[in-house]
Amino acid sequence: MIWYILVFSFYVLFLIWANVKSLKKAESIDDYTTGGHRMGLLLGIGTTAATWVSVASVIGVPGYLYSSGVAAVIGWVAGWCFGGALIPIVAYKIRRPEKPARTFPEFIRHRFEPFQKKSTLQAIVGILMFIGYLLLVNIQVTGFGIVFSSITGIDYKIAIFGFLLFILITSVGGFWSVAATDTLNTILIMIGVLLASGVVWSLTGGIGNILDTLATTTAPTNVGGPELEEGILLSPFGTFGIGALASIFISNSLGTPSSPHWVTRMLAPQNVKVAILQVMGTILVLIFIMTPLIVIGLGAKVLVPSIPVDKTTDYIIPLVIQQYTPPIIGGITLVAICAAAISTANSMLLHCATSLYYDVYLNIAPKRISEKKFKNWLRLSIFGIATAAVLLAINPPWFLAMGFVYVYGGFGAAFFLVVFLGLYWKRMNRAGAYAGIIIGAVVYVAAKAMGYGLPFVIAVTASLIGVLLAVYFTKRPPLEAYEPYFEAEVSDSTRDVLAKMRSTTQEEPEAKNDRSHIG
Amino acid sequence: MFLAMMVWVGTMIFSFLLGTFLCFKVEKSGVKRWGATGRIFKYK
Repeated sequence: MIWYILVFSFYVLFLIWANVKSLKKAESIDDYTTGGHRMGLLLGIGTTAATWVSVASVIGVPGYLYSSGVAAVIGWVAGWCFGGALIPIVAYKIRRPEKPARTFPEFIRHRFEPFQKKSTLQAIVGILMFIGYLLLVNIQVTGFGIVFSSITGIDYKIAIFGFLLFILITSVGGFWSVAATDTLNTILIMIGVLLASGVVWSLTGGIGNILDTLATTTAPTNVGGPELEEGILLSPFGTFGIGALASIFISNSLGTPSSPHWVTRMLAPQNVKVAILQVMGTILVLIFIMTPLIVIGLGAKVLVPSIPVDKTTDYIIPLVIQQYTPPIIGGITLVAICAAAISTANSMLLHCATSLYYDVYLNIAPKRISEKKFKNWLRLSIFGIATAAVLLAINPPWFLAMGFVYVYGGFGAAFFLVVFLGLYWKRMNRAGAYAGIIIGAVVYVAAKAMGYGLPFVIAVTASLIGVLLAVYFTKRPPLEAYEPYFEAEVSDSTRDVLAKMRSTTQEEPEAKNDRSHIG
Repeated sequence: MFLAMMVWVGTMIFSFLLGTFLCFKVEKSGVKRWGATGRIFKYK
């Protein structure tokens, strides 16, 4: 216990130091929301990797590896990786404008409603984002609570409130604070899972023994539960079946590149190429995080054949670490898992609060405000949303990794066509965007509620039909809407429209072209 | 197990090929603001 507390205290002190330091960098609204579009490659890889590796990865995926076998590698690890592979397709276009959008809903406005004084589309996207990220933050809080209660022995329902302390520390400096903390967290997560997997490897006798056990075990997931079919844990479809696994893979992969926080991440790098290289570098870094997680998740079945009846598979990692790893390694690993929860949550909270305050409130009730006031309101919103997420996590409604699948599926259903067609098809217009977002979101929720096997595919198909009908029955979009994403140099009228859109909601910060790149 | 790992490795290879192709396209555009530097993986 003392080692856990000691490592945790060092981590908290570092967080405070890093955030006070990065607080000085957050100068303008651009800085606060997207790091001023100046993010360098190394910091970009650090923050992207940390946001990628959430509790769904470090707790949820090993949990599913433990209960469903190697199929979880296809559903989550490969699914997210394929989705990540598609992100550069978005980056290649969205980072082209000289002054890119600050937020995802603002991009939607720039692309589809450049002449509207108040953008309804921007507000709708902001509200959908708010709902989605509230649920995703809720998942991070749940994971944090599981680990924090394991470390300290505090009851889970009280432990989750510790999350607010970390959010208070990490969200004061906006995007730079989030990025700096994330880079540290990436290193910590990598060290933690590598050490823990080394211990599991040594205790189980290596991958050969693990696979031998998986091939023959019939031990139920929970003590007293139904026995597993022999060999099912090594089947590529696992306990899911082909239909459910396909649904998980598609939601994770196609939902990723159209999820607002990934699109916004692509607005932060200093240019298009950095954005592309950032994703490639992140996928490389993730090999050193995902491989140990696979070893831990599968190896756990050898060490703990069945988990206690009152625990979900989300508890398997804390159980293995506490029972089988030396205290110092256990401390680092569990703090790394907390870091994963915090780094993903602070990024999502920033997007969530920005969408609510900037894209909904300031868009509907436009007024010129100072940057100081903007940041203060945003901080307040972040803390308010975090509190709501904590309260929702008192009785967590789903398994961590599966919760991600649902929300990513929802984001993909609502935004996939709008993002990709908006960036690559000049004819895509405002009516098409309304049809795509509304039909996609409504059909996904309805298909999910009715229990269909592939809700994402059903929703995107319905959305595509709606988009095509809307686009071809309405007039072409104006040049000013698509030009920044297709041409290197834009016309004067496009430049004027972009400048006007920014000035309707915010006090424009001074030009900072002379500043050096950071990261 | 082998099949599952191969699916993951396949997605990674796809990612690097696609990223390289897009970097090549940036270079081909010659637009410095987008990151064209004269070398495919050099960004500044």
